[in-house]
Amino acid sequence: MNAVPLALYSAALVAYVWHFARRSVAAGRAATTLLVFAALAHTFVVGMQTMEAGHVPMTGPTSAISTFVWLLCLAYLYTEMMTDERAMGVFITPLLVALQTIPAFRPGVEDRAAVLQGPLFGVHVSSLLFAYASFALACVIGITYVLLFKEIKAKHLGFFYARLPSLQVLDRMNHATVGIGWIFLTIGIAVGAMWAAQAQGTYGAAGDPRVQAMHLLDPKIFVALVCWFVYSFELFAARRIGWGGRRAAYLSALGFAIVLLNLVPVSYFLTTSHNF
Amino acid sequence: MHLVLVGISHRTAPVDLRERVDFATRGLPAALQALGTRAIAREAVVLSTCNRAEIYIACEDAAAAPDSLVGFITDFHGVSRSDIAEHVYDAAGLEVARHLFRVSAGLDSLVVGEPQILGQVKEAHTAAVDARTAGPILNRLFHASFGVGKRVRTETRIGSGAVSIGYAAVALARKIFGGMQGRSVVVVGAGEMGKLTALHMKSQGVQRVTIVSRTMSHAARTAEAIGGASAAPWDELDAALHASDIVITATGASAPILTKAHIESIMRRRRNRPLFVIDIAVPRDVEPAAGEIEQVFLYNIDDLQAAVRENLARRGGEVARAEAIVAEEIDKFEAWLRSRGAVPTIVALRQRFEAIRRAELERLDFKLSSLSADARARVDEVTRLLVEKLLLTPTEQLKAAGDSEAIAAYTDALNRLFALTGGNTVESADPANDVEPSAPVANVEPLAASNVEPPAASNVEALAASNVEPFTRTRPRSPR
Repeated sequence: MNAVPLALYSAALVAYVWHFARRSVAAGRAATTLLVFAALAHTFVVGMQTMEAGHVPMTGPTSAISTFVWLLCLAYLYTEMMTDERAMGVFITPLLVALQTIPAFRPGVEDRAAVLQGPLFGVHVSSLLFAYASFALACVIGITYVLLFKEIKAKHLGFFYARLPSLQVLDRMNHATVGIGWIFLTIGIAVGAMWAAQAQGTYGAAGDPRVQAMHLLDPKIFVALVCWFVYSFELFAARRIGWGGRRAAYLSALGFAIVLLNLVPVSYFLTTSHNF
Repeated sequence: MHLVLVGISHRTAPVDLRERVDFATRGLPAALQALGTRAIAREAVVLSTCNRAEIYIACEDAAAAPDSLVGFITDFHGVSRSDIAEHVYDAAGLEVARHLFRVSAGLDSLVVGEPQILGQVKEAHTAAVDARTAGPILNRLFHASFGVGKRVRTETRIGSGAVSIGYAAVALARKIFGGMQGRSVVVVGAGEMGKLTALHMKSQGVQRVTIVSRTMSHAARTAEAIGGASAAPWDELDAALHASDIVITATGASAPILTKAHIESIMRRRRNRPLFVIDIAVPRDVEPAAGEIEQVFLYNIDDLQAAVRENLARRGGEVARAEAIVAEEIDKFEAWLRSRGAVPTIVALRQRFEAIRRAELERLDFKLSSLSADARARVDEVTRLLVEKLLLTPTEQLKAAGDSEAIAAYTDALNRLFALTGGNTVESADPANDVEPSAPVANVEPLAASNVEPPAASNVEALAASNVEPFTRTRPRSPR
């Protein structure tokens, strides 16, 4: 079922590339339209899976990635409509396509373990997925900032100069997306800790090894905390020591690299606490 | 009717001569009125910008017109003929269209592709419409040229990229800061170059301009010249730099006045807010190494000029595409102009039929006199419709004839078959409308009145006008 959004994301990717390379307005409109349809299709998929499984598909790593892609797409479309700026699509859609291939080729929603019931768990996962989507946007904005920055610094006003919005706009967008992401990351981690404390009381005592593994040194938890420190530092440094612009952009890229690490390889291969 | 153009432009004349023949100084209406009194043309438009003064006319005598127009220019501006003779160019027929189309497209501009000229051409036409010196031919010609200008700008990239130092600097500032609103600019040095760049920034909406100079009185004078700018003494340079987003350095100093270390210390105090430094001084005012500082964007005059050259080269590549559009539009205009060749014949034919109809109605008047007024009106209506129906197809066929040979053959045949006297003009049925059709205009008023060339009975004329001339008339006919 996740293959349909994948196909639409791929089509949107092609249109965004065409739009970016040729600066074709028609291709840009087509790209947005395709992405809107992809988002609708993906909404339908997520909705159907929710009805089928009785819960939002985000309890296992595969369905969490699918939901993440869906949130990222919505977040991107929102920014595109707010800023009337399509240049970022060419950087976001490859990420959507790459991540969506995982759920497309690993169909089905993971069963929900009994331990994962309750509202706290839902808040935990959805805040984190939303935070990661924000960080993905921030990363892409940061990359485009660096590309434009380098062209202006090198006095070679070429490809990106003609296509990207101004450095100041990119810097502000980066700051805003990191700020929003940081708030949700903080909520997600805090609620996760609360939930884990609760779960350890009942399920940990009952001998669930995953719940017993929920401590700071579990890879998934540890990496999430590293993320939190990276983004906290970025926000602090931009305010206090003038680390805006390119340095903030690099930090956004670094932060999201860690997010991706956490979202895919750590989830599938390393964690002992989060493998539901 | 023939199109004729006489003009002086940056291609043929230096600026001091162009200034002397600038029609804008005394106003286009005055020029158009003066031109009207000379009775050279039936239609006239005067285009006057700082780079060109051109007169476009539609007239009967294309051979004598250029000389008369040069005479008009010398008299109007009080310059001697020998002063301008070698700088004047003229054109006739389709070459006039080609020239105007190229002008509107920005192909004839000093800076190829500059956008202002299209607006100036529109203003020239509007002035002529207001002065009632524009007629069907020039209306068509100018509307076509607006279309050319628009097409060239949307279909080619001839207008893209900054092509002056000032524009290049503003374009860069926009790419760094997003917009110029709320930005503050510091100009270091009170020279001309700095002033000009600051003026350009000001016109783009920057909030604050501060002039810093070693001599406070120079700074104050330049600030006054810019208007709305403030001056600051040299020892407040650091404070000014701290508060600004854009720095323009243009002093005559022989050694750099801003070193890397100096700017580094300022950037620390600014908490690394981006600083755009434009060094247009030669020798340079800013140490080149300052460009290595994070968030300092240093451009000197050579860097800006390189950007300008790149953009000019890109525009040059678009010229061929723009010329192709001009050629296409000339073909369209030519087709329209040819189809106009049939207008006198169509009008004459309609007048002939109308005359016959009226004559017959008069002849039968005694027989119709017994009818009621209502019925007589009906008879009049039926005969009129009959004539119109009969003429509809021939009129359409004539209009559709594409090349001049076919039109000539048709008009010749019609002239013979219906004995249309003189081919082009016929006696008007209505003596009130009897204006000498081929007489050159003696004042401004008849210029407008001659919107449709030969005078004719009003209903016939309205029909001819609506059928033959695809443009909308900009002015109602003046009552006579």
